[in-house]
Parts: sequence; C-alpha cells; structure tokens
Amino acid sequence: MDNPLVQPDPGLFIWTILTFLILLGLLAKFAWNPLLRALEERQETIRKSLDDAEKIKQELVRVQQESAQIVAEARAEAQTIVSRSRAEAETVREDLKRKAKEEAAGLVKNAERQIQQETARAVQEIRREVVDLSLAVASKLIKKNLSQEDNDRLIQDSLDQIETARPS
Amino acid sequence: MSAQHQEEATPHVGEHAADVEHASEGFDAGATIIEHVTNSSLEHPLVHLEPIAGIDLSVTKHVMMMWLVAGLLFVVITMVTRAYLNQDRRVPSGFMNGLEWLVQSIRDSVVLPNVGAKYVNTWTPLLLTMFVFILAANIVGLIPMFEALGLVDRFVLGNGHDAESLINGVLHGGTTVTANYNVTAALATITFFAIIIAGTMAHGFVKHWKNLVPSGLAKPIYVLLIPIEIMGMFVKPFALTMRLAANMTGGHIAILSILSLVFLFTEMFESAAVGMGVGVAMSLPLAVGISALEIIVVMVQAYVFTLLTSVFIGMAINVHH
Repeated sequence: MDNPLVQPDPGLFIWTILTFLILLGLLAKFAWNPLLRALEERQETIRKSLDDAEKIKQELVRVQQESAQIVAEARAEAQTIVSRSRAEAETVREDLKRKAKEEAAGLVKNAERQIQQETARAVQEIRREVVDLSLAVASKLIKKNLSQEDNDRLIQDSLDQIETARPS
Repeated sequence: MSAQHQEEATPHVGEHAADVEHASEGFDAGATIIEHVTNSSLEHPLVHLEPIAGIDLSVTKHVMMMWLVAGLLFVVITMVTRAYLNQDRRVPSGFMNGLEWLVQSIRDSVVLPNVGAKYVNTWTPLLLTMFVFILAANIVGLIPMFEALGLVDRFVLGNGHDAESLINGVLHGGTTVTANYNVTAALATITFFAIIIAGTMAHGFVKHWKNLVPSGLAKPIYVLLIPIEIMGMFVKPFALTMRLAANMTGGHIAILSILSLVFLFTEMFESAAVGMGVGVAMSLPLAVGISALEIIVVMVQAYVFTLLTSVFIGMAINVHH
C-alpha cells in the first residue's frame, strides 16, 4: 500500500460515516421530512383546488341555466299578466259603458213617464176649469134656475161633448 | 508523502524553473499532482488526536473539508427550508425553487420507481442527503479555493513556502473528499447497511437473507448461487466506492497533468516564455474544457451513486425472483 492514492485511513472512514449520519439526522429532521410533508400538502391543496374549480364551474353553468330559466318564466308571466289585465280592463270598460247606457235609458223613460203624468194632470185640471167656467157662463146666459136634475144632465152632456171634442 | 516524493525528484538548478516552482529543487509533476488529489499527510494532521482503539482519529484535511461541506449544506438547506416553511402563504422563491425541484426529482424519479410507494418517505431523506453531500463535496473539490488562499499567503501576506502560517497549515492535500477511497468506502458502507435494513424492514431479518437467492431451485445450483450472491452483496458497494473515487480523482489528475506541462516545458527549455506559451496555447484551453466536463461528471457521479443506492435498496424491498 505504498500508492498514496489508495492509502487506507480508518480514521477518515469513521469520520465520514459519523459526519454523514449526523448530517442525515439533522437534515432529515429540519429539512427533508418537513419539506416532503409540505410538498405532499401542497399537492393535495392543488388537487383540491382543481377539483373545487371544476365543481364551481359546473355550479356556475347550472346557476346560469337556472337564472335564464327564471328570467324566461318571469317574462312569460309578465306577458300573461299584461294580457290578462288588458282583457280585464276591456271587460270593465264594456261593463261601465253598458251600465251607463242602461242608466241613461232608465232616466229617459222616467222623465217621459213623469212628463206624461204631468200632462195628464194638467189636462184634467184644465178640463175641470173649463167645466167650471162653462157652468158659470151657462148659468149666467140662461138666467134660469134649472133643477138639480137638469143641472146634472146638462153637466153630463157638456162633459160628453168635451169628451168627444177632445183631441186625442 | 509529498515531501518524500520531492526528495526523490532529481534536483535541478534551472534559474527560471526556480522562479516558477519550489525554490531549491526541480519540478516533479507526479508528486505535485499526487499532493493535490490525496489527503494531507497522515503523519502531520491539522489537529492531532490520540488514537482510540488503535484508530487514528486525527483531523486531516479531508476530514476538515468534509465538515466544511456538511456544515455548509446543513446551514444553507435548513435556513432556506425554515424560511419557506415559516411563510403564511408558502410560495417557493429563489433558492427554494431549486431545493424543491431537487427534493421532488429525487423522490419522484429516483426513489419512487425503485423503492416503491410504500417506503418512499422512509428512504428519500437518506438518498437526498447522499446526493447533496456527494454533489457538494464534488463541487467544492472543483473550486481551487485553497490554491487561491495559497497565492494570497505567498504573495500578499509574504509567507514562504514552508512558513508556519495558518493558511500554510491547510494548504497541503486535495480538497475533493469524494476522491478519497476511504470516504467513498464509508458512503458505500452506508449503502451496504441501508440495503440490509431495507430488506429487514420489508420482509423481516431472516426472510431478507433468504431473499438473496431465488427459492425452489435444484440443490446443486445453490452451491454455485449462494457464493455468487454473497459476493454480489459486497461487490455492489465496492463498485460504488471505486466508481466515485476514481471519477473524482481522474478528472483532477487530467487537469493537473495538463497544467503541469507549463512547468515541464519551462524546465525543459529553461525559459519561462516557452512555458507560458504552451500554457496559453494548449494547457489553459484544455484545462478549461476538462473543467467544464468535470462539472458534468460531478453531477452525474452524485446522481449515479444516489440512483444505484436507490436501485439496490429497491431490489431488497421488491424481490423479483
């Protein structure tokens, strides 16, 4: 073993093993194991984030579809509400119109009837006036006291005459 | 041993050579290169400790370098990890991105396919530590920081080559701990025991040893197979030891050999100009090229060591016979 390149050196051998094992222990405790754990944790986090993103994407699509559906439904409903209220307004208007017409017709009829009644009463009154006047005139002209019988007969005659002469 | 080599080298009195290298003797490329790739002298360690049970545990340069690498790794990695984990929103940034990439690639493309999902978290820390330790040691070996320190010592502080200065004390010896067979053998020993522990954890102690050979074969085959498998058990870590150390040594020797040409030519022609010419024309571009190649080798070797350890552990866990 004269060659210096292959000179045995047990001290160095032992120092190497000791140094290496101590370095291994220290690095494993303070660096490798925490790092390996951190790496695994991060891998897990990334996997979960990607899964979440996928889920959120699907959820978003679902929500979008849902909202579109809701909007469409709302629009249709609004349409029906508008058309229904329009129809209702139409019927209300028709109703009011009809009622007004009926009322007007009732009023006219009423007025006509009143007028007729008034007219009839007036005619009756005028007739009575005429009879009284005729009686007074006749008694004055004849200057003769007629019997009660004649009186009544004359009145009846006159009434009949007026009746027949009355314009219908 | 470098001193011994220098004594053997033929003394040379060329004036120009003396300017370039050691003051009193000629340039010995072999000795210089060996000094740069091997450990510091075992007879003169940085910190001398009394042998324990006949083993000299003195702190040599490679031990110091290893502590430097381990300390640097621990401080940087732990600091970055703490800073990251203490955030409210854990957004990795800067160096953490790289660290995270490293952790994830070692776990998902080295450990997971070999070891299997059940034991991946058990063995990833070991393989991560192995990878960063070997890689950092390899890279630190590529940086000529002690050579730079030596220049500062020699020319800025004015200490001589043999002066008893602090920097001189740590100058001798190579900086690449993974180029030392003792270091790679220790790492491979950890692999060796990791394989046994993995098999024991997965199948139980007795079953692990039975798994070494396939069951249900004719008896005569076992006579052949059992020794082969037992040999294989030791060959695996031995191959790891050799591969890493040889790769780390080889590149450095190649770079240093090419750079030595500068001094060899200077001596040969007794002219610093020739040496400089050779240096600029050939040594420098080649050395830069090989250094670039070394950067790849450094990463590949760290990866290969880690990958093979992972494969061996996986073989003990998922027995295919």
